[in-house]
Amino acid sequence: MKKRILALVAAAILGFAFAQPSGTLTIAQAQDPQSWDPIDTFYLAWGMIGSSIFDGLVHRDLNMKIGPGLATSWEWTDASNSRLRFHLRQGVTFQDGEPFNADAVKFTFDRLLGPEGAKGPQQANYTSIDHVEVVDPYTVDFVMKSPDPVLITKLAGYGAMIVPPKYVTDNPPETFNKMPIGTGPFKVTEYVPDDHLTLVANPDYWGGAPKVAKVIFRFIPEPSTRVAELQAGRADIVQGVPISLADSVSKTAGVKLEAVGSPTVNALRFNTCLAPTDNLKVREAIAHAVDAQGIIDSILQGYGIPIASFQSSMSLGYDPNLKPYSYDLELAKKLLQEAGVAAGAPISIDVIGTDATNLEVAQAVASELEAVGLKPTLGTHETNTYYNDLVPKNTVGNLYYSGWGGWTLDFDNTAYLLYHTGQFWNPCYSNAKLDALLEEERATYDQAKRETILQQIAGIEHDDLIDLPLYQSKNLWGVADRVQGFVAPADDRNDLTNVSVTN
Amino acid sequence: MKRALTNPSFLLGAGIVLLVVAAAVFAPALAPHQPTAANLRARLAAPFQPAYLLGADAIGRDILSRIIFGARISLVVGVASVAIAAVIGTIIGLLAGYFGGVLDAVLMRLADIQLAFPFILLAITVIAVIGPGLWKLILVMAFAQWVQYARIVRGQVLSIRETDYVQAAASLGAGHARIVVRHILLNALTPVTVLATLGIANNILLEAGLTFLGLGVDPTIPSWGGMLADGRNYIERAWWVSTFPGLAITVTVLGFNLLGDWLRDTLDPRLQT
Repeated sequence: MKKRILALVAAAILGFAFAQPSGTLTIAQAQDPQSWDPIDTFYLAWGMIGSSIFDGLVHRDLNMKIGPGLATSWEWTDASNSRLRFHLRQGVTFQDGEPFNADAVKFTFDRLLGPEGAKGPQQANYTSIDHVEVVDPYTVDFVMKSPDPVLITKLAGYGAMIVPPKYVTDNPPETFNKMPIGTGPFKVTEYVPDDHLTLVANPDYWGGAPKVAKVIFRFIPEPSTRVAELQAGRADIVQGVPISLADSVSKTAGVKLEAVGSPTVNALRFNTCLAPTDNLKVREAIAHAVDAQGIIDSILQGYGIPIASFQSSMSLGYDPNLKPYSYDLELAKKLLQEAGVAAGAPISIDVIGTDATNLEVAQAVASELEAVGLKPTLGTHETNTYYNDLVPKNTVGNLYYSGWGGWTLDFDNTAYLLYHTGQFWNPCYSNAKLDALLEEERATYDQAKRETILQQIAGIEHDDLIDLPLYQSKNLWGVADRVQGFVAPADDRNDLTNVSVTN
Repeated sequence: MKRALTNPSFLLGAGIVLLVVAAAVFAPALAPHQPTAANLRARLAAPFQPAYLLGADAIGRDILSRIIFGARISLVVGVASVAIAAVIGTIIGLLAGYFGGVLDAVLMRLADIQLAFPFILLAITVIAVIGPGLWKLILVMAFAQWVQYARIVRGQVLSIRETDYVQAAASLGAGHARIVVRHILLNALTPVTVLATLGIANNILLEAGLTFLGLGVDPTIPSWGGMLADGRNYIERAWWVSTFPGLAITVTVLGFNLLGDWLRDTLDPRLQT
């Protein structure tokens, strides 16, 4: 009898020490990014899941602090900062058993910077790297083409995720797009586009096996359906709770609401190639006609922070002295008159139709523009078409919604991609002075100097009204009580390794 | 006519339809507010208060005013789509029924093909390609619905064609055009009228449904279906945002249906006692 009890105790202790991943976690998110290849994407929706599949050389934790990832340490090898050496973690394998080493790093960046990467939006983020050299199997050198002060942060996400050379080379691109393989804590086992993606714990993860055995990400574009699934117990975590349902979620038993200030800012961009918003006076009139504070107080119920530039207060380049345009209808009318815009002049607004809050904000803006004598029309679109087709081809209206992640917490990521001449999402605006400033800011590692230049850029953005920043969002997550250890990520990149579920 | 005035379904149906038409025609005079004017401070204002009789929506627009203006969209969509479908369908039905043969076979097979497409699927596909818009919506509906009119007219023509008076007119040397228009069309119109009246009700519902799905009119334009969609996130907190437009749809559709039923009962000799 005594022996038996001892055996039981021993079994319990052993069982505890070698706790197997257990339970299934179901997460509902709005968007399916469609391709899981890191170089094909720029969606936060990709990062929500990609962060569990892939690792980068460096890792940014939930407190937004940078630390070691697949590289254990790194340093410049020369005083002129032209070679950055990474020492790689040993004994790491991809989820299909392929070894992680210097060749994988070189392959990843050759691919990102080569013709394959040129097809996607991520390459533009990494053009400062000339090439990667293998020093020995666990050491690589990044040879820089130009200085890149945001490089380390950028190596923690998206395009810089390390991919398995053999798997990528041996299979057609479609295979990697649909069944990606990385070194991350979870492995993809099933992907049904527009429906769900299933991950299982990677027991050999270098950072330790995750606590939960299986994670199902469901793609549910309709926010009220997402919330209903949470309330019905068919989802444990729900991303993107709309503000209109925030009250309803916090009042539901067994569920709590988490709000986290996000780097995402929301703006209406101006189409400066399309009359009448090609005229600065008209843009000024519109800026004075829109009551951003009123929108935050009422429609957002306070879940938003006023901004004067297309970046959050967390971002390098944020200038607290820059103030949003005043809400002044009389001035707006006067400016329109000066610009020679007749009463009833049409003005088109394009938004993504699946987001209830955006739609309400856009309708409020439309109503305010009507109040100063313009005749607004509102077009609604689906997310993928919108960002991949309408915006790059500039077939959008005078004002068009844009939410920008700014996940590097550095204005460069937004400003360069949206304002520099010829960029993918900037088919229209061109300003030689701004281009020069953007290039100058990228050329130095002196962060204080960069901050000054980025603030100057924000000043030009503000004065020339390239866009009309509306607010910085707070992301709302609904989390069931059966989930433990979940921290709502400010940058939307989930870290699920410490999350567990009870039944 | 005397019978009509004592018939409750006629009175109720006609009354509702008249009310909706009046709301649409005199909307600017009747509506207490601009239907598109947001007032952020009146967000989700409760109903039954002097400023907002039926409450305000999520961006503070007066629901009563939007319902009154929404009647325009509903009527324009309902009437225009049915009118186009009925005209196209009647012409095709006349041709197919009167001339018969190969023409009949081709036109009716076309009709069969058209009927094989579920309407919502067709609408979603077409609108995804050409983009949403009021007139596009009307054309999609008309395009999907001409078949019903073509079939019913063809059936009528097939029987009328053989009647003595048509034979007589032909013997007297009347041309095809005269026979078709004077002797056949006028006699075949009765069922078209009934179908069209019921079709208006149906299409008002379809417009509401498609706009609810985001395939209909621009969200700034007050439309009952769009208002319903705007309100669905607030059902728990502000029932009035979608309840009142929902009621407007229900009542209007009921009105047209009652009128259509009455027309059918009155115009169909077999149902008369």
